[in-house]
Amino acid sequence: MTGLLRAELLKIRSTRMWWGLLVGALVFVAIQVVALILVSGQQGTPSLDQVSTVRTIWASAGTGSTFALVLGILGMTTEYRHLTITSTFLATPRRGRVIAAKLLAHAAFGVVFGVACVALTAALAVPLLAMKGAATLPTSTILQVVGAAAVGVAVYAMVGVGVGSFVRNQVAAIVAALVWVFLVESLIISLLPQVGKWLPGGAANAMMQATSTRGSLLEPWAGGLLFLAYGLAFAALAAVTTQRRDIT
Amino acid sequence: MDALTKDFGTVRAVDGLSFLVEAGSVTGFLGPNGAGKTTTLRVLLGLVSPTSGTATIDGRRYADLPDPMRMVGAALEASSFHPGRTARDHLRVLSLSAGLPTTRTDEVLAQVALTESADRRVGGFSLGMRQRLALAGALLGDPQVLLLDEPANGLDPEGIAWLRGFLRHLASQGRTVLVSSHVLAEVQQTVDHVVIISRGRLITSAPLAELTQNHTTDVRVRTPDADRLEAALIAQGAQVRSADGVLHVSGLTPPDIGRTALREAVELHELVQEESDLEQVFLSLTDSVGSQP
Repeated sequence: MTGLLRAELLKIRSTRMWWGLLVGALVFVAIQVVALILVSGQQGTPSLDQVSTVRTIWASAGTGSTFALVLGILGMTTEYRHLTITSTFLATPRRGRVIAAKLLAHAAFGVVFGVACVALTAALAVPLLAMKGAATLPTSTILQVVGAAAVGVAVYAMVGVGVGSFVRNQVAAIVAALVWVFLVESLIISLLPQVGKWLPGGAANAMMQATSTRGSLLEPWAGGLLFLAYGLAFAALAAVTTQRRDIT
Repeated sequence: MDALTKDFGTVRAVDGLSFLVEAGSVTGFLGPNGAGKTTTLRVLLGLVSPTSGTATIDGRRYADLPDPMRMVGAALEASSFHPGRTARDHLRVLSLSAGLPTTRTDEVLAQVALTESADRRVGGFSLGMRQRLALAGALLGDPQVLLLDEPANGLDPEGIAWLRGFLRHLASQGRTVLVSSHVLAEVQQTVDHVVIISRGRLITSAPLAELTQNHTTDVRVRTPDADRLEAALIAQGAQVRSADGVLHVSGLTPPDIGRTALREAVELHELVQEESDLEQVFLSLTDSVGSQP
């Protein structure tokens, strides 16, 4: 199993894709943090005097999760796209173990992504918030929020592996995932919060305490549990769909 | 391979196929494109589950082998690499997954003459180099059994010559090799046994020598005095076809014909045992089934 895990880690490391996605995630997070701080308090947006606004800014670290999701999707779909899945299953006929190793390897890279996003958020938010004279958060809350953000990013990488093994077509999987995250899910969360809070994104937001209107979300612990359940469900989906499939 | 059948939807790719590959032999697995060769190999390797029947190696299913890559090496497609990964990393990934020492990567790269390109990304490789990298992957576990699917596909004549020598080398080490191809000539000089399938069914499984024997060949004779020689040969019980002063003789050996010509004082310009055209045998065998509805 160690060998398998090392093999999956090497698969990610040995192409340049993860590097590009990490840079993408950091740029995305940076824009999010800076934009939120600059626009807050203007034209009716919540002001930085409110603790919830500051909390949301810290939770921006979690927006890197979309890139981790894509990393997971690519990790699975490239195997089908470039037919390397054949040699993968020849080396390890027990497919369940391959999927387990792949999930773990992507979770590990997800943690790297998450920590990098949190570090960048801190580097930007601490000086900017101080400059703007924003409300101060207790350190324990900050740690809770960024910890949840890092976990969220890692779990999204595993969700990606699940999506990728279900929708094996690379382009279709990525388009479907992005349309879901940026369009369908975010619309449901803002228009139908009673439904939206049960979706993965809603649960992740709750876990990171990422919105100023907290009443519409689950409690952080409940959101966290629900989100992890989604992660496990997608991991199981990956294992089940891959087990009996013909590799042609 | 025992009564193997595989349906893809309504298409029956392999239809009740049974054959045995002897340990230590080099077997050509032949059939036209779409005959079911690749599907058969994929079932054997546990990548595709059969609709019915079994395919085993040494009496066990591939998935049940304790250390599959040390027992069976397979090269299925020349294109199954991530283009952004280097040749060495590709092999390291395989070694790690299969629990093989990563030192093997350098050894197999040398075996297929890819050492100098080891750290280049596979995206820049020619088809011949990819075929060799696929072979290197099959050799990682130093397996006793090798399954090669169309290893000569897309190779230039130089590459085919290299592959032939390589297969002969592997065979000389006593390995069991099953090599599939849709062109008989590619493997004719290397294999000692052939399995021919068409439309998912077995046509024949026989030693190469037997297949050639059953297909009798003519002796070609060129002479300015065709009519006289023809009469003399027929008198000795030979069958003769004549065309443009060239006789195609069956039923007599070249020495017999030479002696007859000497006795009859007929001038000979050419006396040749024609090459057995296995390609023709192959085509006629696969055609006869192909034309059935």
